[in-house]
Amino acid sequence: MEEKQLLEFVQRVSEDETLRKELTNDPDSVIMRESFSPRVARVVMRLVPHMSAMQWKEPAGSLNWWFT
Amino acid sequence: MSNNSQSFLDPLAVHQQMLCGQLHHFLASLPPILYGDVVRALEEPGKLFSQPPSEVDHSYPVTPAGIWSLLTLAIIEYIAPDINPLCASNVAIATECCICAIDLLDDIIDDDQTSIVQDLGTSRVVNISTALLMLAQRAILSLSSMGMSSVLVIQLLDVLQDEISVCTSGQHQDILAESKPIQEFTDEMCLEMARQKAGSLMRLACALGTLCAMADDHVCRLFAELGELLGIANQLDNDCHDLYYLLQDGKAPLSSTEMKSVPKPIKTDLIRGKKTLPIVLAAKSDADFEMSLLSDRESNQTNALHKGILGTWGICLLYRERAHDCLQEIEEARQHPISPSLRFLLGFT
Repeated sequence: MEEKQLLEFVQRVSEDETLRKELTNDPDSVIMRESFSPRVARVVMRLVPHMSAMQWKEPAGSLNWWFT
Repeated sequence: MSNNSQSFLDPLAVHQQMLCGQLHHFLASLPPILYGDVVRALEEPGKLFSQPPSEVDHSYPVTPAGIWSLLTLAIIEYIAPDINPLCASNVAIATECCICAIDLLDDIIDDDQTSIVQDLGTSRVVNISTALLMLAQRAILSLSSMGMSSVLVIQLLDVLQDEISVCTSGQHQDILAESKPIQEFTDEMCLEMARQKAGSLMRLACALGTLCAMADDHVCRLFAELGELLGIANQLDNDCHDLYYLLQDGKAPLSSTEMKSVPKPIKTDLIRGKKTLPIVLAAKSDADFEMSLLSDRESNQTNALHKGILGTWGICLLYRERAHDCLQEIEEARQHPISPSLRFLLGFT
C-alpha cells in the first residue's frame, strides 16, 4: 500500500541521519533502492527539500521547512 | 492576480454570469423573509455571489466565485458540449446550493466563528442550510419541465442523496471522534473520515456533471473517483494548514511567500480535539503525545507534529498524483483533452 510505504519512509528519514544525508545528496539512488512505485517516487522527490530543511532534532523549531 | 490565473478566470466569467442568473431565478421562489439570508450565505468566500477580495495578492491564484457549480458545469460541457445550457446550469446550481448548505452546517458543527455565523447567529444559519438543501432538490426537479427524462432526474436526486448521506456519516464520525482518545485512531481511519467528509462533496460535483451529460459508466466512474481523490487531498491540505497555524501562532511573522500559500484560519478543529491525520501521525511517533498540550507551543511535541504535517503533506501529494493519473485515463477514454478552464478548476495548473 502506497500510503503505508510513504509514511514509513518519512518516519525512517526522521530517525536516521545517515539516510537523511544520503537523500539530500543522492535522492535518485535512495528512491531506486527503496523500490518505490513511480507515483510514490514522484511524491518523495517533492518531499526531499522539505525533509532536508526540517530541523528534526529541534524540539520547537520553526515550520519554515514546509515552504522550502 | 497572476496573468496565469486571469487567463482562466476570463472564460469562467461567462459561466458565472449564467449561473448567477439561474440561481436568482430559483431564489425568487423563496419567501421574502428567507431570501436575504440565503443570498448572504451565497456571498461567502468561494460561493457564487461572492465578491473578489478588495486586496488581491497579484501573485497567488484566486478561487473563482462559485467554484463548485463551475466545476459541475465545466464537466457537463466537456462531455456534452451541445447540451441545453439551462439544463446544465440547473444541475450546477444544485451542486452550489448543496455544498453551500453542507459548509454552513460544518461551520455550526465545528463552532467556527465565520462572518455569517457571527452576523446571523447559529439558528438562522441552520435554517438557511435547510433552505439551500431544498433549493438543490428544486433545481434538479426543474429538469423534468425541460424535457429531461424522469429516470435521469431520479438518478440525479439519487446521487445527491447518496453523497449527502456519505458526507453526513463522515461528519458524525468526526464529531464522535472528538471525545475519544487519540491512541484509538489509525491513519486509515483518518483517511476514511476525510474520504467521507470531503471526498463525497467533490465526488458529488463531478458525478452530477457526468450524469447530466449522460457520460458512459466508465467515464462516470472515473470522474467520481477523480472528485473523491481531490476532495481527500484538499481536506489533508486544510488539516496541515490548520495545524501549521496553531504551531506558528505567536512566532515571528511569516515571509510573504509563506503568507500567500496559507488561507487565514478561523478553524477550531484542533481546539475541539479533532482527530486529523497530522495529529494522529504525531501521536503515533510520540508515545507520550497528549492532545491537551497542542496549544502549548513550547512543548516537546512540536517535533512529532512537524513529522505529522510532513507525512500528511506526502499523503496529500500522493492523492493528487492518483487524481492526475485518473484525469489522464479520462482523457484517454474520451480521446479528448479537458479544457484549460476545467483543468484550472480541478487544481491542475
